[in-house]
Amino acid sequence: MFAMIETTPHPTAAACRLQVGTSGYSYPEWVDAGFYPPGTRAEKMLSFYAESFSVTELNYTWYQMPKAPAMERMCGKVPPHFGFAAKLTRTMTHEVDSGRWRGEAARYRQGMAPLIQSGQLQAVLLQLPPTFDRSRGNRVYLAALLDELADLPLAVEFRHASWATERVFAELAHRRVTLVAVDEPPLAGLFPALEVVTNPDLFYVRFHGRNARGWRSGNMQQQFDYDYSDEELQQWVAQRIVKMTARAGAGIIFFNNHVRAQAPKNARQMVQQLTLQGLL
Amino acid sequence: MDRSIIHLNVADFAVAVERRINRHLASRPVIIVPEGASRAAVYDMSEEAFRTGVRKGMALRRARRLCRDAALLAPHPDRYERAMTELLKRALPYSPQVEPGEGDGHLFVDATGTTRLFGPPVDVAWRLNRQIKKELQLDPIWSVASNKLVAKVATRLVKPSGEYIVAAGDEAAFLAPLPLGLVPGIELVDLARLAAFNFTTVGQVTALLPGQLQVALGRRAAGLHQRLCGIDPSPVLPVGARPPKIRLDHEFGNDTNDRQQIEGVLYGLVEGAGRRLRRQGRAAGRVAVLLDYADGLRRLRQVAAKPATANDLNLFTLGCRALNLAWDRRVRIRHLALRCDGLVSPPAQLCLFADERAQTERRRQLVTALDRIRQRFGDDAVQFGRRLAAA
Repeated sequence: MFAMIETTPHPTAAACRLQVGTSGYSYPEWVDAGFYPPGTRAEKMLSFYAESFSVTELNYTWYQMPKAPAMERMCGKVPPHFGFAAKLTRTMTHEVDSGRWRGEAARYRQGMAPLIQSGQLQAVLLQLPPTFDRSRGNRVYLAALLDELADLPLAVEFRHASWATERVFAELAHRRVTLVAVDEPPLAGLFPALEVVTNPDLFYVRFHGRNARGWRSGNMQQQFDYDYSDEELQQWVAQRIVKMTARAGAGIIFFNNHVRAQAPKNARQMVQQLTLQGLL
Repeated sequence: MDRSIIHLNVADFAVAVERRINRHLASRPVIIVPEGASRAAVYDMSEEAFRTGVRKGMALRRARRLCRDAALLAPHPDRYERAMTELLKRALPYSPQVEPGEGDGHLFVDATGTTRLFGPPVDVAWRLNRQIKKELQLDPIWSVASNKLVAKVATRLVKPSGEYIVAAGDEAAFLAPLPLGLVPGIELVDLARLAAFNFTTVGQVTALLPGQLQVALGRRAAGLHQRLCGIDPSPVLPVGARPPKIRLDHEFGNDTNDRQQIEGVLYGLVEGAGRRLRRQGRAAGRVAVLLDYADGLRRLRQVAAKPATANDLNLFTLGCRALNLAWDRRVRIRHLALRCDGLVSPPAQLCLFADERAQTERRRQLVTALDRIRQRFGDDAVQFGRRLAAA
């Protein structure tokens, strides 16, 4: 068991502002599944989504460098209090070119400028690949990347178990960088589910689903095909989220099991659980 | 349902294929140009050569002056065709709707409705790029948008490598700040006309009311306005399902502006197209003439055939009208192409008036007789005098 990193505890859990949402919102199959009204066009989805949730995670910024005009247009579709977490582009996490990544970081910041200026950027998610283990080279690179992006609200998601050590958590806490807590299938080598809070400003949880059979299929539709039960979510809240809310001023919880609109369904269940616990 | 179109575009395709074979070419500018031609024109060039000012269709002598250290290679269309087939093979498992370009490294994939099988279209595009990189050593630019036009513009923007996702509903806003020349399907004459009004970007033109644009562009205004707003309903055509068309080309040995010679050549092309149409039992609903001028400018003009026809004499009349529309400059012509499309079964409706009916019948009999003679004695057994002038 890992010890909790000592951050200044908040006096009451209720002081922690919690938000629940989904990883991405633009899925045509969510129309068939009934989350969006029949016939909803892709351009209208974010506005509909914002009627149900107050935060979302932007996946497409992993595929392509964000562009300021597109971000500006996106901001116009949601109310001012709506928040975004955005993935860092793959050229800085999965496909790193040692000579170019610093330039990419600068471009990323420029692309994100509208969200930063409007105060709607709640986190930048550094999702590291499963092959990114805690080798010396990777440690040096990650440190340099965190330095380069230090002015952004960073959250790091490890996929390799070798990063689950006290020294890593202490370093993240020193930098006030959020360690992303994950729920995923109990497979060997994956980063474990932890309630460690490294940043007193924000904790960040991602529910990927527990589809062990589809996890390494290489097909997102199988990997993220899972429907959480009320009991599973209740356990998470009781065992982890309650503790995390006591140690951070805000928390965001995302569901990534987007297949057949299970993510928004589970996100609504989570909202209910948090409400029952008096956390929302 | 919103469409999701992926566009893959291997920049400088011919060069990319040659570099895959000869690794030494990777670090130097490359120009691909036919060997031994007295008046060779650039077929393709690498990004490095492009940056020095070399362009497709440019005379080799000029290209060499601009880029002295370029490696010169002869084109190998068979290699490019094979590479296209390989690209197609990688894309087909993701969608039955895959439309390849003509040996040019372009490929459209319609990923609409495939999310449940393969995941989001952006992920499919990224995976395709990775697979092609790994297996074919080519690095296609990729884009995802709601239609072919916007997807194509998006890959043009990030040349020579990269990706671009245009969110549904963002099409008009995405195109608005771009130069008009980046949007495919706008002819040079229209660009020149818009430039005369001091319009250089898409947004300036789409801000006009259709009626205002009509003042500048006439009947073409409506279609153009739609394109500039990022509206393109054209489907991704599955392999082999392109609308049938017949295209015949002629390259002049020496650039010319001799009308007799050019019309003679056009008649030769018309005869070839007519024969193929009649053999297929089809008639052309539209005839187009494409001219390449000696200075590299290109004009394409088309006229509708009402009713559709496969008769050489009617086709020639239509071809001449299209030629006259396209031939609006004094610069000599280098290349002429005739295209017949909108192919339909020959109309069964007879002409209403007796004299018109008689003329149509005479023309039909004449062409039938010519076909019979040629079938028996060869294509050159009998010719119209105007073709001799072109020889």
